[in-house]
Amino acid sequence: MKFYDVLASLIHDMKNSLSMVVHTLEQLTSDPSFHYDKPEQVTALQNEARRLNNNLIELLTLYKIENERISPTIEDVDVANFLAEIVAESSSSATANHIKLSYDCDPDLYGYFDEGLLRGVLNNLVGNGLRYTMDELRISAAQEDNYLVFRVEDNGVGYPKQMLAAQTSEDLHRDLAEGRTQLGIYFATMIAEMHKNKDQSGFIRLENNYRLPGGCFSVWLP
Amino acid sequence: MTHKIEQLNFLIVDDYGDMRGVLRNMLQSFGVANIDSVANGREAIAHIEAKRYDVILCDYNLGDGRDGQQILEEIRARKLIGVSSIFVMITAENTRLMVMGAVEYEPDSYLTKPFTKDLLAQRLERLLNRKADLLEIENAIDHKEYELANVMLDKRIAENPRNVNEFIKLKAELCIKAGAYDQAEAIYSDVLVQRDIAWARLGIGKAYYGNRRFDDAKRVFEGLLEGNERFMAAYDWLAKTQLALDEPQKAQKVLETATAHSAKAIVRQRALGELALSNHDEKVAEHAFSQAIHLGRHSIYKHPSIYANLAKAKATTTNGEAGLRVLRDLKKAFKGDKEADLYSSMTEAVLQEDMGNGERARTCMINAHELYKELGTRAAPELALDMARSCSKMGETERAHELLQQAVKNNHSDETFLKQVGSTLADLGLSDDPNALIADIKKGIVRLNNRGVELAKVGKLDEAMLLFEEAVEGMPGNKVVNLNAARIFMLQMKKSGIDPKRLDQVREYLTRVRQMDSENRTLHKMERMLKQLLSGS
Repeated sequence: MKFYDVLASLIHDMKNSLSMVVHTLEQLTSDPSFHYDKPEQVTALQNEARRLNNNLIELLTLYKIENERISPTIEDVDVANFLAEIVAESSSSATANHIKLSYDCDPDLYGYFDEGLLRGVLNNLVGNGLRYTMDELRISAAQEDNYLVFRVEDNGVGYPKQMLAAQTSEDLHRDLAEGRTQLGIYFATMIAEMHKNKDQSGFIRLENNYRLPGGCFSVWLP
Repeated sequence: MTHKIEQLNFLIVDDYGDMRGVLRNMLQSFGVANIDSVANGREAIAHIEAKRYDVILCDYNLGDGRDGQQILEEIRARKLIGVSSIFVMITAENTRLMVMGAVEYEPDSYLTKPFTKDLLAQRLERLLNRKADLLEIENAIDHKEYELANVMLDKRIAENPRNVNEFIKLKAELCIKAGAYDQAEAIYSDVLVQRDIAWARLGIGKAYYGNRRFDDAKRVFEGLLEGNERFMAAYDWLAKTQLALDEPQKAQKVLETATAHSAKAIVRQRALGELALSNHDEKVAEHAFSQAIHLGRHSIYKHPSIYANLAKAKATTTNGEAGLRVLRDLKKAFKGDKEADLYSSMTEAVLQEDMGNGERARTCMINAHELYKELGTRAAPELALDMARSCSKMGETERAHELLQQAVKNNHSDETFLKQVGSTLADLGLSDDPNALIADIKKGIVRLNNRGVELAKVGKLDEAMLLFEEAVEGMPGNKVVNLNAARIFMLQMKKSGIDPKRLDQVREYLTRVRQMDSENRTLHKMERMLKQLLSGS
């Protein structure tokens, strides 16, 4: 048995446990007869369980990228529907955190990317956004200069200066080793750079005050 | 199909009781009332046999017994669910290629655990809409009305809807199915010019393969694997291509790599075993066949030939006794099955001969030959090769020669098979020039066919009919001859009226072809012609 198979089967098991935690909490919070004087604790549990899940996916994917030849499986994806699913995935969590979560995208937009990989990236960004935003989170997708751009914007305090500076995977790798950046950004960069078309590669960009007065994380896919 | 989700019948398949409860709760919160849930594949199949489900939510990993992919394969192959039913595979990982077992059966959708009920609702909504959108076309394909499906697809593609690629993909797949490889190639290249999409790359590889451009096909499949070493379908096609390129050792290596990544696909294990056996790598063959039997205990892919081949492999790796033990298992697993008896007798003849029991071997062989004749077109053509081998081994050269000649006559248009016949003829020293021998027989049949068709063209239908009647008698297992005979008979009846005896003959010819190749395009045409003839139009 390869280490990968052990890892995969352990993760399968952990995901079953996580599913139980997530779903039980979801049931509790949607049950009108359930009264608990500290609802924010339940919400915090939900947030942490989801974070754990996102981290597991990151872990497995990064392991695969490092140890196996893996490149994105490019499919044609209905982007509006894809974003609707990303929002659906997190909407109960957003509601519990009193955050307005929405998406906007041309309903006819089709994109070319690895749906599974991008789902991991966006779930992660949304998960982080829910922690750092004030009360709003907006996901969008658009075709701009030969790139499909996904943006996750919040109205929190925005990214600190040194994070805005580091934008390539090498910078991030160094920062990661020194504990200065989050695994999530590194993950998104890896996935974006794996998406190639002709001589262009994908990348990420961090900026502040794009449309909302907080941080804006964008993933650019050629 | 109704769109109201609360009116649909749901089946949940998950070995984890709590998870079944979670899914049931989610569905109930959407207002769904008809929900059944089961814990394993056996129960799932029993439920699906007994009741029509609109949506099946099935976990991929079900512990012991069948996995989700095997359930899907079985219910689709046995047509236990129609094209209007939706099958959603629930997985722990977010990469769908990983769970791809057999290439031809894909679920309608994959869902990765954990997911919220909002996501499930969103996904079901989309799948129901998509189903409704494609239902007419999928129905036509399911009923093998490919021309009708093609017309509908062209119409939808011309309208250029936002999901036009979905229709283009279906059309290309249809072309491959119908053998229109040039057209398929053109469609896939058009898509690939715009974007390097995975399904189009795999597709163009298949089209190259169909057009016998094996080097090009090989390049495509190798390229796909370079990008992703878990692209299971690419392994299967690469091995097929290498076999066509006369590189059986390399093909075996490819399948060994594939099974190391994903050991659960029975079809692949069986293919690996057969390759290894013909490469005289009995150790690999033994392992692959044992796996195939173990995995296939509850599967539609359970087949006597796997046992027979395992017996042969074991006779080499261990001893003849071990091989005979496998044959006893075979008989136990297929009680009262004539085809299984045939495999068993044939294989036992070989084993006994090798063990020095000539008398017993001869008895088995005679028994096998009787069974073979009795089974007629129901016996797989490859069996003739094995039979010929054992006959020749026992000095029955005449019988071996006759078997192989008949095999050529029955399959004169199947190049891959003829290649096998050729190498068997050469191996057994039955012919100095097997290719010339095969070419001669082929020429004779082609000439006969052409003469019959020519006669029909100039209106001499009675003469043509006589000619084909005789041809069919001599080659009852030949698809082309059977189909031509059916066509001429029907043309004659269209002109001179229905004759019950001839009608029976037509039905018999078509049944034979259906047994051998139910996907045959001309067969579907002939079946439609028969329907028209009977409806008196």
